[in-house]
Amino acid sequence: MAFTLRSVKVPPNSASLEEARGRVFDFFRQACRSIPTIMDIYNLDDVATKSQLRSIIAVEIRKNTHVTNPKVIDMLLFKGMEELNNIVEHAKQRHHIIGQYVLGRCAQDLDTKDEGASDFLKNFYKSNYF
Amino acid sequence: MGLGSLASRTLKSSRILSSQYSRFRPIVTKPGLQSPDASSAAAAAQPEPSPPPPKKPVGGARFEFTNPDDAIEVFVDGFPVKIPKGMTVLQACEIAGVDIPRFCYHSRLSIAGNCRMCLVEVEKSPKPVASCAMPALPGMKIKTDTPLAKKAREGVMEFLLMNHPLDCPICDQGGECDLQDQSMAFGSDRGRFTEMKRSVVDKNLGPLVKTVMTRCIQCTRCVRFATEVAGVQDLGILGRGSGEEIGTYVENLMTSELSGNVIDICPVGALTSKPFAFKARNWELKGTETIDVTDAVGSNIRIDSRGPEVMRILPRLNEDINEEWISDKTRFCYDGLKRQRLNDPMIRDANGRFKAVSWRDALAVVAEVALKVKPEEIVGVAGKLSDAESMMALKDLLNNMGSNNVWCEGTGTSPNADLRYRYLMNSSIAGLEKADVFLLVGTQPRVEAAMVNARIRKTVRASNAKVGYIGPPTDFNYDCQHLGTGPQTILEIAEGRHPFSSAISNAKNPAIIVGAGLFERDDKDAIFAAVEAIAKKGNVIRPDWNGFNVLLLNASQAAALDLGLVPESSNSIESAKFLYLMGADDVNLDKVPADAFVVYQGHHGDRSVYRANVILPSAAFSEKEGTYENTEGCTQQTLPAVPTVGDARDDWKIIRALSEVAGIRLPYDTLGAIRSRMSTVAPNLVRTDEIEAAAFGPSLSPECGQKIESTPFKAAVENFYMTDSITRASKIMAQCSAMLLKK
Repeated sequence: MAFTLRSVKVPPNSASLEEARGRVFDFFRQACRSIPTIMDIYNLDDVATKSQLRSIIAVEIRKNTHVTNPKVIDMLLFKGMEELNNIVEHAKQRHHIIGQYVLGRCAQDLDTKDEGASDFLKNFYKSNYF
Repeated sequence: MGLGSLASRTLKSSRILSSQYSRFRPIVTKPGLQSPDASSAAAAAQPEPSPPPPKKPVGGARFEFTNPDDAIEVFVDGFPVKIPKGMTVLQACEIAGVDIPRFCYHSRLSIAGNCRMCLVEVEKSPKPVASCAMPALPGMKIKTDTPLAKKAREGVMEFLLMNHPLDCPICDQGGECDLQDQSMAFGSDRGRFTEMKRSVVDKNLGPLVKTVMTRCIQCTRCVRFATEVAGVQDLGILGRGSGEEIGTYVENLMTSELSGNVIDICPVGALTSKPFAFKARNWELKGTETIDVTDAVGSNIRIDSRGPEVMRILPRLNEDINEEWISDKTRFCYDGLKRQRLNDPMIRDANGRFKAVSWRDALAVVAEVALKVKPEEIVGVAGKLSDAESMMALKDLLNNMGSNNVWCEGTGTSPNADLRYRYLMNSSIAGLEKADVFLLVGTQPRVEAAMVNARIRKTVRASNAKVGYIGPPTDFNYDCQHLGTGPQTILEIAEGRHPFSSAISNAKNPAIIVGAGLFERDDKDAIFAAVEAIAKKGNVIRPDWNGFNVLLLNASQAAALDLGLVPESSNSIESAKFLYLMGADDVNLDKVPADAFVVYQGHHGDRSVYRANVILPSAAFSEKEGTYENTEGCTQQTLPAVPTVGDARDDWKIIRALSEVAGIRLPYDTLGAIRSRMSTVAPNLVRTDEIEAAAFGPSLSPECGQKIESTPFKAAVENFYMTDSITRASKIMAQCSAMLLKK
């Protein structure tokens, strides 16, 4: 009954930006706590690590840092909760998770590692034919 | 407007025409049809056509006039052509550019003349002659396109097809079948055979050759090949007339190492490749011309692939190296390319199990360990199948790290790469045909290099050359004297006490072939010195003929010694802390210390993987463009036929990337750059298809003070079918070694 419990608990509106901030952090903690379940459901052990998923969630949340209206933040949190529920209750499938969240992100956190690499090395990591 | 009405009028009229008169064909008469005189007058009125230009020989064939005064002139279809004396009518037509159909004639086998498909009309002859057997006489007028010749061909084809089963849809030779092609080109359109066809029971020739003897047209090409080229008298014809069968009479398997060539030779689908049976049709295959690396001969092959998979390997014509034949190991090792392939970099974790990682992590780990170790504890070993570019990169990398302990497996503990004549086949494989005495020292060419053995056999057959052999008892497919088993015999011949030394001194072109298995011995310098004494005494090394030959075992040895992969110390493995194995599976890893960090870079998970700490997957010879030098010093290039497996990379690219991650970046990024680096070290390695002869002779070789040990010579290759990582992974090779090796 986890799915029904989560969506029910939506309070009307946040009073101020600080409350909305608090709600964002609660949401982030809730999402991070459900990461082990997600990895178990979708067998993501070979594809990503828990820390990677955590940083992916953090990146998604950080995409909306510019928002200041608490109502908008509440709406975004609602959508985030809805997505999290979908994932946890197995309404999505593995290829959705991999395609929407895992792929394409790995390059982002490796930009820092490839600072001094030449073109040869960058191409070498990608494939044999260049 | 006006044009539109015109158009509509023509359309209307043509529609009427087509509708009303579509049943009737308009009859048109031509002036030529009205009266023959008018047509001939019209034809005669035209000016004489200029004589057509002479045609080039069929298939670009070359022919040489051994004696220019002996040239004969014959006329083929009206064209005069000059040919050497002794050529047959069929060869004369080939030179004239006319292709005559044939089934039983093969340019490298003796003449049989039993298929009768090559019948041509010769003036002043009552019946058509079999052009493959008839010698061309001066002034002969040969006509190949007269109605008589065409009728003869149609008749022969009709007879051949009478007892031939309707197997085209299930026959592997469909699409490349001589019978299909020639019946389309020269046969008649309908047959008159209404009786029952005969059928023949299939023979079991082994795990390589599939036989459907009903399809056999008794051309006897396989029989002649087996007796002449392969030297085994396995096959023969039994029975007469329509009851003729080709078989082994007793239940024998074809154990010869050249048995796969009968598949190419058979013009119909009677003898086909068993591993390739029912796998593909020839028109869906893409052929890539590359080089074989399973032995040191470097036979030219064509890899037929369909998508990412190698389907079969066929020989390519190269007169100098392998003519038109390839050995069974070359032909059938391709299914080892699909098994036990390494496709991901792997690191051994604390439990001892391998874990697949990304290239970034793997190279980072290797570079970290390499930089921590002292330079004299770094050792690199190149493998049997390594190409020259990767060996160059390995040597550069290890030299930049401060170590000079790089060598290629098979070159022994202290190889001497100073004088090239000491590790090459100096008379070249084609030059062996000129020899008249062979002395084989510690080498069994039949299992080490089957094409060299075929060449020796060709020479022995053609000119009755004498062959003396020193080594463990083996069987040869030509007459050979077993002179002894150990180095003592060499000393005896060198001092002239042995009866064979007179044979060498009396010979015009003596050839000595030393096996590369002797590189592993401790007294190899002494043995080489003794052999050179024989060479000096028998005048083997002369300006016009160098008969001192070394038969190498691996495809990479010659290039390795040319590039200078010579280790500093001979027992560096025992004190190594960082061991880089580049495809090296036959290195004795027992002496490696337990805390050494072993990196294995290769394409198969063979023997060395079990000791490795890091695995870096690389490309096999069919997937990379690499330079290989064969045992006679001819540089050849492989081309990629299929894409690499999984995450594998080219060997030299891995080393270049590793060098960058380790901080000592190598200065080349592209294939051209590494080739120019190779040319600074060994310029002959960039000149493909050219043999670079050894520059200096024994005058420069140093004196040797070693004593010869009296241990007899060992066989260098125990199992012909399983010698390197690809053949050991192949199921066909396993079947062959189980069934075909003599116990």
